[in-house]
Amino acid sequence: MRALRAETALAACVILGAALYLWADSMLPPTRIGDPLGPKVFPALVGGGLILSGILLLFEIRKKRRSPEFAAAATQQASADWRRQLILCAMVAWTAIYYLCFDWAGYLIATPVFLFGLLSHFHRGHHVANAVVAGGFTAVVYALFTLLLGVPLPTGPLPV
Amino acid sequence: MDSWHGLLHGLAVAATPTHLLYTLIGTFIGTMISHLPGIGPSAGIALLIPVTFGMDPTTALMMLAGIYYGCMYGGAVTAILLNTPGDAAAVMTVLDGYPLARQGRAASTLAIAAISSFIAGTMGVTALAFVAVPLAALALHFGPTEYFGLIFFALSTVSALTGDSLAKGLMSTFLGLLLATVGIDLQSGVPRFTLGLMELQDRVNFLVVVVGLFAVAEVSRMVEGTMEGTLHIVRVKGRLWFSRAEWRRAWPAILRGAGVGFFCGAAPGLGGTIAAMLSYILEKKISRHPEQFGKGAIEGVAAPEAATNADTCGAFVHLLALGVPGSGATAVIMGAFIMYGIQPGPMLFNSHPDLVWGLIASMYIGNMMLLVLNLPLVGVLARILYVPPGVLLCIILGIASAGVYSFNYNTFDLFLALVFGLLGYAFRKLDIPKAPLLFGLILGHTLEQSFRQAMTISSGDPTVFLRSPIAAFLLACAAVSLGMSAVAKRRRRATLGIAQERIARG
Repeated sequence: MRALRAETALAACVILGAALYLWADSMLPPTRIGDPLGPKVFPALVGGGLILSGILLLFEIRKKRRSPEFAAAATQQASADWRRQLILCAMVAWTAIYYLCFDWAGYLIATPVFLFGLLSHFHRGHHVANAVVAGGFTAVVYALFTLLLGVPLPTGPLPV
Repeated sequence: MDSWHGLLHGLAVAATPTHLLYTLIGTFIGTMISHLPGIGPSAGIALLIPVTFGMDPTTALMMLAGIYYGCMYGGAVTAILLNTPGDAAAVMTVLDGYPLARQGRAASTLAIAAISSFIAGTMGVTALAFVAVPLAALALHFGPTEYFGLIFFALSTVSALTGDSLAKGLMSTFLGLLLATVGIDLQSGVPRFTLGLMELQDRVNFLVVVVGLFAVAEVSRMVEGTMEGTLHIVRVKGRLWFSRAEWRRAWPAILRGAGVGFFCGAAPGLGGTIAAMLSYILEKKISRHPEQFGKGAIEGVAAPEAATNADTCGAFVHLLALGVPGSGATAVIMGAFIMYGIQPGPMLFNSHPDLVWGLIASMYIGNMMLLVLNLPLVGVLARILYVPPGVLLCIILGIASAGVYSFNYNTFDLFLALVFGLLGYAFRKLDIPKAPLLFGLILGHTLEQSFRQAMTISSGDPTVFLRSPIAAFLLACAAVSLGMSAVAKRRRRATLGIAQERIARG
């Protein structure tokens, strides 16, 4: 049941998003220099296709609801794993903080702190090994990118 | 240059020390990536593209192609030892590979998988060399109308054949096309859907999308995996070879699997998973012992492994001859081609013969390297399976971040990758296939240009697409593939469901 509810929400989001996209497309200037279509027609077709796919999904959901397989599956109780969702959200937030500090703190400071933080949760109780992995990985990647490949990574306040 | 001369010329190019070294590095990295559950060839190639900056394109593409077929080669190892496919295409290998390993036959099963991959890979490369040249010659006569038909057909088949729902496949494709419209329109100079962000004026970076959608999203899968419990690894014992009886049962399955796999690879959108599934069903149907399938039939390992590796070569046919990718991973390789300033397609055989023939010939050499890597060294390489998943996921996220930053030296790309990572997570939770989005994004620009050029030539008359026999035929094929998809999907769901249930049960 939850899966079908999520799919219905998906179809609604897609139709709404496509409507917004079509509105943004209608606001584009109708330039047609040497081109009978201009920049608006192709996106309009794409937006129309997205709306059609959303409607098609609604039909598929309706068909699934009527099927005997669904009736059997609906009797099984699904349990929500809030802890898992919370950990994933925390990980996304931690990654966003890392990206915010990437330029400002520099790769050599931001990366080991970020990795050590992650490892402390996902590889619990191995503090020394985690510190070695975080530091070693940062040093190897920094050397590979800056020295071997000539790709500069941000240095931050460090005089590297 | 005909295929024989092309192959000989390619072997001379591929056999230089630098190219041999990078082919070895590519195949080795591909094998390692295939041992990491979750990281498939698309994400692996995308992550490694920054490493190729500054390299000669031929060398770089040999390495990236090596990662692709190395990944397909090694996907069987985790399927057999861990009951978890290293890549999606190895899902059918789990059905018989893991039971065989549990019966103490892990070594012979791994050997059969490696030999199947080698034979099918070699047959596939040969077929690629001989099919791609006439196809490219035919494609030289294609104009914008025919190209529109071809890309429309490729997008239709990938929408119809990947995933369980036609609506979701279409949704993913249209989302990819939507992303392809972001940026400055080259014909009119109008910025479209950039939300006022300067970074989006030069279009959405394809590689950022790939890393986000595949690598970052797969990290979330690994997070859930580490929280759900432990993985049970079967240790490899005994000599890595098989008995005569096993070989007698395996070799016809290998030949049939190679044929099915190459055909599936050459049809855009079918992909390795369907190739493996079709070859498995075929073997079970014609076997004298169908009851052994699912309990430890050696044909159940040989055929899907041969099919996935021949499929890899088939997927290159479209990329090299037509400039249309045949799979998600070849879409990423196409992104690399474009990044190096080379447009894959029919002109490639004339404009870059060293590159195209060198690349094809390097696959022969890479196949031999993979046989060595996957037979005597499988025990050593399988040790990567013992690295704690918690450590691996952190390392993958670290590599993805450094790689994405190096595309444009811009933290905007990092946030964009994170957004696509979240989108990839949502795709996985809602069972939306990711490959159609990649196809839409990489082919969207060419599709729009072909459409507009064809309409300009015909002064805005849309019947131009029906007046060209090739375009009309391709559009009719697209309509048939969309129409037929609903029936075929129900059968596929049932077969794949058995494999996925087995993996879930552990």
